[in-house]
Amino acid sequence: MFSEYAVVIIFLVITIAAISPSGLSLTYIIQELITRLGRNSFLVISLLLPIYSGMGLNFAMSLGAMAGQIGLIFAVDWSVAGWQGLVFALLIGLPIAVFLGWICGKVMNKAKGREMVTGYILAFFINGIYQFFVLYMMGSVIPMRNASILLSRGYGIRNTLNLESVRQSLDTIFMLKLGGFDVPVVTLIIIALLCVFIVWFKKTKLGQDMRAVGQDMTVAEAAGIPVEKTRIVAIIISTVLACAGQLIFLQNMGNLATYNAHDQTSFFAAAAILVGGASVTHASIPNVFIGVILLHAMFIVSPLAGQNLFGSAMVGEYFRQFIGYGVIALSLVLYAWKSRKAIFNSRSDLRGGAAGKGKDEGGQA
Amino acid sequence: MKAISFRNRSFVVRSILVLVYIAVVIIMLMTGKRHTILIDNKDSEDGSILAIDGMSVQIDNQEAFEYYPGDRDKAIVQGQKHKVKVEIFADGKIVESAFSVPLGQDMVLLEVPKLIAGVEPYLKPFTVLQEQDSSPAVDSPQSIQFGGDSPVVDETALEVPPDAVLPQ
Repeated sequence: MFSEYAVVIIFLVITIAAISPSGLSLTYIIQELITRLGRNSFLVISLLLPIYSGMGLNFAMSLGAMAGQIGLIFAVDWSVAGWQGLVFALLIGLPIAVFLGWICGKVMNKAKGREMVTGYILAFFINGIYQFFVLYMMGSVIPMRNASILLSRGYGIRNTLNLESVRQSLDTIFMLKLGGFDVPVVTLIIIALLCVFIVWFKKTKLGQDMRAVGQDMTVAEAAGIPVEKTRIVAIIISTVLACAGQLIFLQNMGNLATYNAHDQTSFFAAAAILVGGASVTHASIPNVFIGVILLHAMFIVSPLAGQNLFGSAMVGEYFRQFIGYGVIALSLVLYAWKSRKAIFNSRSDLRGGAAGKGKDEGGQA
Repeated sequence: MKAISFRNRSFVVRSILVLVYIAVVIIMLMTGKRHTILIDNKDSEDGSILAIDGMSVQIDNQEAFEYYPGDRDKAIVQGQKHKVKVEIFADGKIVESAFSVPLGQDMVLLEVPKLIAGVEPYLKPFTVLQEQDSSPAVDSPQSIQFGGDSPVVDETALEVPPDAVLPQ
């Protein structure tokens, strides 16, 4: 029981313990959580379909994030502002995300069983191409209209882009004042619609195929399900959702770190869903929201708790990174431990209940 | 025969989807593109039309601002079609007009005295000259960082010619 919810319980205890030393008011923490829920949930939800398909955590979701960023660079270049700028960026980024998702799916089909590490390394590889595209192609081969976003040498995009033209354009379409809190209604509606889509999609033929592939690829293949195609579709959808999620994230942040905004997208999204109680093989929508709330509650309180307890905010910042990586490691270890345990149990069942018996006790080797 | 018709239908549906996709991109571009309107209250170049001595100018539903001779201000608008409302202080005359900013034009100059006088065109393209220094300054070699804002410095450009007279 504890091992099943170990990550959630550990996180909950740490976060609650850190609230008091941080000295932050509950009102501030709740407001920050509402903002971060709108900012991050979409990205985390994009991890669900690959988990359903048995591909684990899609660390290659940063490919989608890169596609979204390219779209956003063009939106800023063309001075397309407001929510129209976001839709424009999405429409530019969408074909790129589909293409990158297709490549990712193809590669992952060549590395069945090792999708997570493959995705992680693939993201590094595509990052190189992204850097080349943005740093050298934009402004030289690809004409850019807005000289202010270019490096002083005349080509390549600046390190940081000011997204003033689209800043919080989605959040502020309808900002509801609810009990003293600002609630970005439209953003939350979009996230709710995505949840409805995920629930509906799971019931469709393709959704059922994905679950079947996630359960057992051999059985799914024998049942006539196109396993490889289904896996590719799952990754494409995940990449496209990550593209849209990154746009929602960036419009809320208001600026774009051109060369590294996508670096840790998958890392924090994966950490959030794991903190929410998901595993590499099982995840649900509640896991997403529990994870985002818990992870970000800790992100909010830990720097100030570190400052007040140890006299340095860097301790809290370090703690944040440490917890992020630690939770992923803990989840993977727990998953590996559970898998081994399940294999051991199934073997002992086959031996007719000779569990735990060694050779000396009559068990078979 | 059936297979061909299905393929044709599929092709038509896909083509329509692509067209709709492109149409949405264009609509977003047209409705979301920002333009800067420079509101100008100066005498015309030939001196035939004089600047207005006190007026308020309102673009779309933005806040109205007061202008006196020689003033120039800017308004940032989104989309192509806009309205301008001018109220002249001297006689209380109100002039309203609508204009359209070309899609490819980032900045336009709105000459209000011409608008009031009914002289066309009162809206003209305005381009800010942006000159990029193609060669790095010799006296400011900057560190080269990956993705940094510093230009890539050509080492040969920094070399001092052999016949150059160095300042003492």
